[in-house]
Amino acid sequence: MHGFFRWSSKWWPGTIPLVIFWAIAAWMNTGPLESDLAARSTAALKDTVLDKSRVAVAGRDVTFAADAFSEEGRRGALAAVEAVPGVRLVNDETRLIPEAKPFVWSAERDVVRVTLSGSSPLPSSKGRLLEAARAALGGVEVLDQMNLSRGAPPRFDNAALLLLDQVGKLKDGKITISDNKVSLSGMARDLGGREAIAAALKNLPEGFSVAANEVKAPPYIFQAYKDPVAVTLTLTGYVPDNNVHAAIVAAAGRKFFSEKVVDNLKASLGAPSGFAAAVVLALGGLSRLSTGTLVVSDREVKLSGDAFYDAAPSQIRSNLVRDFPQGFQFKPDISVKPAAAPVDATVCQQLFSELLAKGTIRFESARSTLDPDSAGLLDRLIETALRCPTVNIEIAGHTDTAGENAANQALSEKRAQAVMDYLVKAGLPAGRFTAQGYGSTQPVSTNDTDEGKAQNRRIEFVVKE
Amino acid sequence: MVYLATFHWGWLLASLLLGLAMGWIAVVQRGQGVSKLVARGLSVLVAALVAAAIARVVPGRAGYWLDLGLVMFALYLAGCTVGSWLRNWVLSGHAKAA
Repeated sequence: MHGFFRWSSKWWPGTIPLVIFWAIAAWMNTGPLESDLAARSTAALKDTVLDKSRVAVAGRDVTFAADAFSEEGRRGALAAVEAVPGVRLVNDETRLIPEAKPFVWSAERDVVRVTLSGSSPLPSSKGRLLEAARAALGGVEVLDQMNLSRGAPPRFDNAALLLLDQVGKLKDGKITISDNKVSLSGMARDLGGREAIAAALKNLPEGFSVAANEVKAPPYIFQAYKDPVAVTLTLTGYVPDNNVHAAIVAAAGRKFFSEKVVDNLKASLGAPSGFAAAVVLALGGLSRLSTGTLVVSDREVKLSGDAFYDAAPSQIRSNLVRDFPQGFQFKPDISVKPAAAPVDATVCQQLFSELLAKGTIRFESARSTLDPDSAGLLDRLIETALRCPTVNIEIAGHTDTAGENAANQALSEKRAQAVMDYLVKAGLPAGRFTAQGYGSTQPVSTNDTDEGKAQNRRIEFVVKE
Repeated sequence: MVYLATFHWGWLLASLLLGLAMGWIAVVQRGQGVSKLVARGLSVLVAALVAAAIARVVPGRAGYWLDLGLVMFALYLAGCTVGSWLRNWVLSGHAKAA
């Protein structure tokens, strides 16, 4: 034993190379050791859910900073780093992300972009929301201004995903979740979009409720444009369904006797009640204009253009105001077209004949009441009569052979008189007109067919020098 | 410790071999050894360093270097012990054989 102490007292010279070894080992290995530990620690954190995770290694000590989403998650991550072989100490700089109260998330859409803002519970749900937004809004820029917070209501992700789908149906607007209350505002992209959103909101996950749904539908617009140069009537905008569509196009065909009807209407939900009746009535007003535009926007009817003569604007206005369905507002802006140059008797007769060849003055069946559909034609006839201030005009009524001759004679006289009354009401001097009935004595076509009979039932304007 | 050993096995082996060699030489060396007082002082110093390492009071890189140095020193001492003992055994064996 004494020998052992004697030997050991002579071991010291070896410590000089030992210290040199130690210095070299420390010099060469510190860097690789630190990066190895950093890599192992990062790998150990792979399955944990953290935000802003940061690992710094000095020697064998790891400084670990991260934002955790729950206390258990924070402890678990810390334990995972502590368990990495070779780690001596862990400097804990982790913290819990702040709790949002109330927990507010929103998606706001303007014309070119969608901004997601507010709180999101986890990085994974944040990513999923962004991805869903990009998918639902193909091509629209998606801006992410979401931060991460604790305190999300249960099933938040499902609710937010459902609402992101609705953002696609908005033209602009904002959808907000505040705790478990959902509020929506803005303008639907399409007609019917508001209804679709309201239906989708019924599928919100359990616990969520709609606090406010202020999504507006775009106005339900119907437009008609009468173009006197192209001689067309162009219909654009929406109609509620195919039946109404057909009815409107048919009414336009009757009211606009010479114009070609260009039909660009589309069917869509969301029409105000009384839409079809209001449109047909307003088309009647438009038919009495030389050139004009009709815009029906929700319940507001705007009719603008030029009437043929001075008395017409007030007649049009009062007729429409009287007959419009409940709730419709009529905003006329009708001026009178400048009077055309006077023409001589021959041209005058020619103009009358041309007009009456294109259209027929109609009456209620077997009666002498003028059909409102003929108002457009009558106004054109009045305009022509105003251009012939010097001539006398006979208004001649004719019937087909159906029924008794005496009755037909009386009907033809009454109908001619009705037309004359209409002309006088428009401001033409009564003295220049005579109403004459001819019954069925002067057919222009056969009375054996319905078509022929229809041609024989007519009013003619005959210029008398 | 296992991690340190696997990461630095080359240097630890070198320390051990150095210790073996030093121990082998020390038995027959005639030079002056350290006095008991100095040896005691050094022991206290080493004990203090070991205590510091176990308590992990030295932070960061210095702490790592301390650990590494102590492990190398421990292996060196072990090498010395085995070397000296072997040399002594060989010498006494020879003496008996002679």
